[in-house]
Amino acid sequence: MLALVIVLKVPASLQYRDVAMRVVAAACKIYASDARTEGPGLFHEQVVSAFGEAFNNALFHAYRDLPEGQLIVEVGPAEGALEIRIIDDGRPFDPSTVPVPDLDALPERGMGLFIIRAFMDEVVYRPGPPNALSLRKRF
Amino acid sequence: MNFSIDRNAQATVLRIEGELDALSAPELRPSIEAIVNEAPKLVVVDLGALRMIDSSGVGAIVSLFKRVRASGGKVTVKGLAGQPLAIFQILRLDRVFETTAG
Repeated sequence: MLALVIVLKVPASLQYRDVAMRVVAAACKIYASDARTEGPGLFHEQVVSAFGEAFNNALFHAYRDLPEGQLIVEVGPAEGALEIRIIDDGRPFDPSTVPVPDLDALPERGMGLFIIRAFMDEVVYRPGPPNALSLRKRF
Repeated sequence: MNFSIDRNAQATVLRIEGELDALSAPELRPSIEAIVNEAPKLVVVDLGALRMIDSSGVGAIVSLFKRVRASGGKVTVKGLAGQPLAIFQILRLDRVFETTAG
C-alpha cells in the first residue's frame, strides 16, 4: 500500500464511477497542490480522465459477465508523482495485447488505454488475483 | 447529463451539458439515431456546458459525425474547453471537427 494514501472501496458498477472520480480529483488538490490544477489539458484533468478510463476498463473487461465485484482505489504520493492503484478481483488482461487505435480512422471504441497512456507518465499492470493497475503522473 | 435538440432553418443544434460518459452516453444514442435519420445538412454540437467526457462519450459524438457525414451532412463542435478539450486534442479530434470556441 502507498504511504499517506486515500483508500476507496466501491462496488464495480458505473453508478459508483462519479464518486470515485471525485475522490481522485480531490486527491489531486491535496497531493498535487503545486501542479497546475486549472485549465485545459492540465494535471488534474489528465489524471481524472485517465482514471475514468481505467475504471471503465475494470468494469467492462475484468468484470465482464461476472457477478458484481468490487474495486479498491488507492491514491497517494509516490516518488515525486501521484500514484493511483485500481485493484480488482476480476479477470486479468494483458495491456500489451491491446492495439493502438488508428485515430485517423475515427474509432468509436478502444480508446481508453490510449488515453491512459497519453495522460500518465507510468502505467503498470500486475495480473492477479487481485489484479492491480498502477498509474503514475509526475508532479 | 442533460441534452437538448433545437432544429432551426440553418442547423440542428445538439446541446449536451454535464458529463457524457459510459453511464450517460447510452441515453443519448436514440436521439443521435433520430438526428441521423433526418439527414440534416448541418449539426452543431454545443459542448459549452459539458464538464466531463470519456471515451464512451467521444464514441457517441464520433458516431454522429461519421453517420451525418455519410449522408452528405456536416457536424461542427462549439464551446470545447477544459477536460473535454483535452480529450478531443489527445484523440486528435480537434483536427477532424470544425470547432469554434463560442
